[in-house]
Amino acid sequence: MLEGAELCFNVDHGYLEGLVRGCKAGLLTQQDYVNLVQCETLEDLKIHLQTMDYGNFLANQTSPLTVSTIDTEMRKKLCREFEYFRNHSLEPLSTFFTYMTCSYMIDNVILLMNGALQKKSVKEMLVKCHPLGRFTEMEAVNIAETPSELFNAILVETPLAPFFQDCMSENTLDELNIEILRNKLYKSYIEAFYKFCKNHGDVTAEIMCPILEFEADRRAFIITLNSFGTELSKEDRETLYPTCGKLYPEGLRLLAQAEDFEQMKRVADHYGVYKPLFEAVGDGSGAKTLEDVFYEREVQMNVLAFNRQFHYGVFYAYTKLKEQEMRNVVWIAECISQRHRAKINSYIPIL
Amino acid sequence: MGSMFRSEEVVLVQLFLPTAAAYTCVSQLGELGLVEFRDLNASVSAFQRRFVVDVRRCEELEKTFTFLQEEVRRAGLALPPPEGVLLAPPPRDLLRIQEETDRLAQELRDVRGNQQALRAQLHQLQLHSAVLGQGHGSQLAATHTDSPLERTPLLQSPGGLHQDLRVNFVAGAVEPHKAAALERLLWRACRGFLIASFRETEQQLEDPVTGEPATWMTFLISYWGEQIGQKIRKITDCFHCYVFPFAEQEEARHGALQQLQQQSHELQEVLGETERFLSQVLGRVQRLLPPWQVQIRKMKAVYLALNQCSVSTTHKCLIAEAWCATQDLPTLQQALQDSSSEAGVSAVVHRIPCRDMPPTLIRTNRFTASFQGIVDAYGVGRYQEVNPAPYTIITFPFLFAVMFGDVGHGLLMFLFALAMVLAENRPAVKTAQNEIWQTFFGGRYLLLLMGLFSVYTGFIYNECFSRATAIFPSGWSVAAMANQSGWSDAFLAQHPLLALDPNVTGVFLGPYPFGIDPIWSLAVNHLSFLNSFKMKMSVILGVTHMTFGVVLGVFNHLHFGQWHRLLLETLPELVFLLGLFGYLVFLIAYKWLRIMAAGAASAPSILIHFINMFLFSRSPTNQPLFPGQEVVQSTLVVLALAMVPVLLLGTPLFLRWQHRRHSRRRRQPNEDKTGLLDVPEASMASQGSDEEKAESPGDQEEVELVLSEVFMHQAIHTIEFCLGCISNTASYLRLWALSLAHAQLSEVLWAMVMRMGLSMGREMGVVAVVLVPIFAAFAVMTVAILLVMEGLSAFLHALRLHWVEFQNKFYSGTGYKLSPFAFAVEDE
Repeated sequence: MLEGAELCFNVDHGYLEGLVRGCKAGLLTQQDYVNLVQCETLEDLKIHLQTMDYGNFLANQTSPLTVSTIDTEMRKKLCREFEYFRNHSLEPLSTFFTYMTCSYMIDNVILLMNGALQKKSVKEMLVKCHPLGRFTEMEAVNIAETPSELFNAILVETPLAPFFQDCMSENTLDELNIEILRNKLYKSYIEAFYKFCKNHGDVTAEIMCPILEFEADRRAFIITLNSFGTELSKEDRETLYPTCGKLYPEGLRLLAQAEDFEQMKRVADHYGVYKPLFEAVGDGSGAKTLEDVFYEREVQMNVLAFNRQFHYGVFYAYTKLKEQEMRNVVWIAECISQRHRAKINSYIPIL
Repeated sequence: MGSMFRSEEVVLVQLFLPTAAAYTCVSQLGELGLVEFRDLNASVSAFQRRFVVDVRRCEELEKTFTFLQEEVRRAGLALPPPEGVLLAPPPRDLLRIQEETDRLAQELRDVRGNQQALRAQLHQLQLHSAVLGQGHGSQLAATHTDSPLERTPLLQSPGGLHQDLRVNFVAGAVEPHKAAALERLLWRACRGFLIASFRETEQQLEDPVTGEPATWMTFLISYWGEQIGQKIRKITDCFHCYVFPFAEQEEARHGALQQLQQQSHELQEVLGETERFLSQVLGRVQRLLPPWQVQIRKMKAVYLALNQCSVSTTHKCLIAEAWCATQDLPTLQQALQDSSSEAGVSAVVHRIPCRDMPPTLIRTNRFTASFQGIVDAYGVGRYQEVNPAPYTIITFPFLFAVMFGDVGHGLLMFLFALAMVLAENRPAVKTAQNEIWQTFFGGRYLLLLMGLFSVYTGFIYNECFSRATAIFPSGWSVAAMANQSGWSDAFLAQHPLLALDPNVTGVFLGPYPFGIDPIWSLAVNHLSFLNSFKMKMSVILGVTHMTFGVVLGVFNHLHFGQWHRLLLETLPELVFLLGLFGYLVFLIAYKWLRIMAAGAASAPSILIHFINMFLFSRSPTNQPLFPGQEVVQSTLVVLALAMVPVLLLGTPLFLRWQHRRHSRRRRQPNEDKTGLLDVPEASMASQGSDEEKAESPGDQEEVELVLSEVFMHQAIHTIEFCLGCISNTASYLRLWALSLAHAQLSEVLWAMVMRMGLSMGREMGVVAVVLVPIFAAFAVMTVAILLVMEGLSAFLHALRLHWVEFQNKFYSGTGYKLSPFAFAVEDE
């Protein structure tokens, strides 16, 4: 890549960058959230959302409105925007978009495999799949019985194929193996994405690398947290950690040895970035969970991505911010519909 | 017409609408379009308002309407525009409309669903028959013969051992774009255990959902083994393929095919019937929907307006606040009485005092609308401010024409505009959707005047398509000159250029009666003569125009009762402008009148005089124009410069003094009397002017704060005005520049195109043949370059001269328009 993205970035990607910045301006603000929280029913929520960038996206929904319709429609809207970006993108931005969809594709594949394991019908599972991670061969996932079969038969043509090199095995796909498969896939995915951004250089690398490093470390923490009290061995656990984060290599080794949350926290204390996050986690009701804290940090980083120009990070950041917004709206909607207003304010404001 | 000069008096009225009649009242007001409602519930969010339920019901209905409309559109039909006057329906009708709409929508949904189901069925049947019929028979045969090695042992084997090796088939159809992926996946997942053949359907099949024709891929997969079969079925499932039973025997397939064809025939008949019914339902929708749409939109608007009203404490009536022109108050009263007579309690209107600046209302007709538009594009005038639009009616076309002066071009423009004006009532012209056309059509009266004035200035410039016309005999006589100076043939042969000397008797008989003498078009110094003339003309027009602007400010000050500004602002401004640039105009006129041809050699230069005026010096070579000139000039400069501090400090100091006097007077009476005194003053101030409001005695602290702002504002105004006088005068020179450019362009066009054609050949035939394309080129270029392009540029410059040079002398344009609650706009 040429030095100085300023010179030639706009030739290929200027339009889309402008577009995504415009879309970002449509994100709900603090004031909007304050208004949304006041709503009494989902219909009120709908009226409020209509005055914002969502427009009349719910206009053609037959009542009664449910939270899941709101969620689906919001996802559809994001998906439409994303598809538009993607269809208008040029290389290497299109590859960047492909990388972005990969994480959703991994989730979908794993979801479908789990569904097949529990003998649920494919149709039922399809509804739950994230629309950004759809691909044609997706539904055939359940014919595979081992990871290598899965790779050879179905995923070899998809963008997921390169991530499979580490997880070819003849193990049967039970629940634990699927989970391991997911994490291995994700590890190689995030490492590949990181490498892509690093190689791309320029502002994109400066913006995207920290975000992906954080993402990798977050996964490492979450994997550790979820593996407490399971039969996953420590060695196995270490193989699942993505190695492109700030924790690599020392922190990951320590994390692999951690046995409870306190030990994990001690590991995080060695890192200036993560120490405050773990300190913010409280216990007891009403306190923030580790997940919330991570989400907040992610939102912060993504918002900052918009401060620089001429890079691809804005697309990533916009998608993530929009997802967070959707989580917020769904949270508020859930609280409203279940008349559980005590916790309605624990959404994560974006702007 | 009086309302054209300043905006109409608008008052804030309070309407007490009895609850029972509120709806009819507001709907009646909507029909009349008299008042602009103020939102009294601004603090209440949208879903907590009183009539939100009704609004939501209207929205529900509109949603259904959208569905119906979409269905009609999908069927390729258009909705006719509603006819007649449709009032907002009484609220009880909403239920009826809702019921009928729902019934209609349900019916339509059912029929449409039926139709779709039938279509899908038909589609499937067609696909099935395509799969069965299309070449697969021979294909199958081919596989049979092509693979004898695989088949032979199977047929010959005594069974039992190879029982599970029976060949099975899966046949079906898939969308073409998925076919390749399907084929690859099949191959990868069950490598070697199947033979798949794909083929496109011969006919295009209608898609059951979109109705678009599309080709499909049919496939036939032959496989060995039951497990593979399951896999294949799963894979075909995930690609959303249609899979059909495929009999192995040829005869059975034939039978099935025939049966299918029969079925599809029957289905088609049923489908036809359904479609007939559908079109009936759609016809009903077409008839009913448009009036309903208008009615419900009106209803929704009424409820939205009602949402802005507050409820009285007794819940007996709604209170609305609205802006209304004083002139319309009787109409308003009458309308409210009429529409609330049924309810028994009549609605009441009464004026309430208000401190906010009322909206601006200037009624226009189709003639003045475009001129008002020019002014409004700069900024809607403050309430009751002098409206520049009536003066713009003349000055705008005139300044345009100064830049566009040509009889021919002006006439073309005039005729074009005249055609539009004459055809303005024709529906085809009115409803034209083309945006460019609408722009021209909207400004037809403007164009008309612009064309007319261009003809006038064209006569003054004596130019018609750049050619001069000699309506009157020229004031110059070449014969006299020749006789007097005794030009010999040899002299004439040697000198291609001859000068006419006006000092020789008989050569210059007197000025041409109207405009420029045509003889100038023959002269080589034509351009320098015109330049001098047009430059001076621009300055004169400019100074006059600006002075007029400053004078218009007087009417503002008089109207708002700001006498001090008359003395402290307008007067210094006038002195400054007229003392410097008015004097320049005087010099020009004086020189025109007093310096004759005889004294031309020693004529004084105005430019040098004007420069010397500011330097307080004199140049010995430059004769004074009139005795005592230096004294006059020095006085004027000193006077003009003395006006700057007056302008700068006058108003702020006066306001300070006034403020102090007010506060001193207030301190004298007792504390409890203050309140009594305040009331009349406050109401007076609010009625008087909004400017004064800042200094109204009610809020003392604010005044102290504002004072520095007043200084600041006045300083900016002073600097802007003084510098502006110079730069704006220079800016008016664009009149000269543009008119020069226009004249030269048309001259070039004539010389380069038309004259070339005219001087092409001497014979009649040649000229005639050549002139046709040449004239076409001339005409096209005249219209494209001189009329459209030059016209646009002259328009733009005239616009600028009005907005920047004229209106900044008096027009603040900080108001907002009265936008009455009216259905008329929504109907469009």
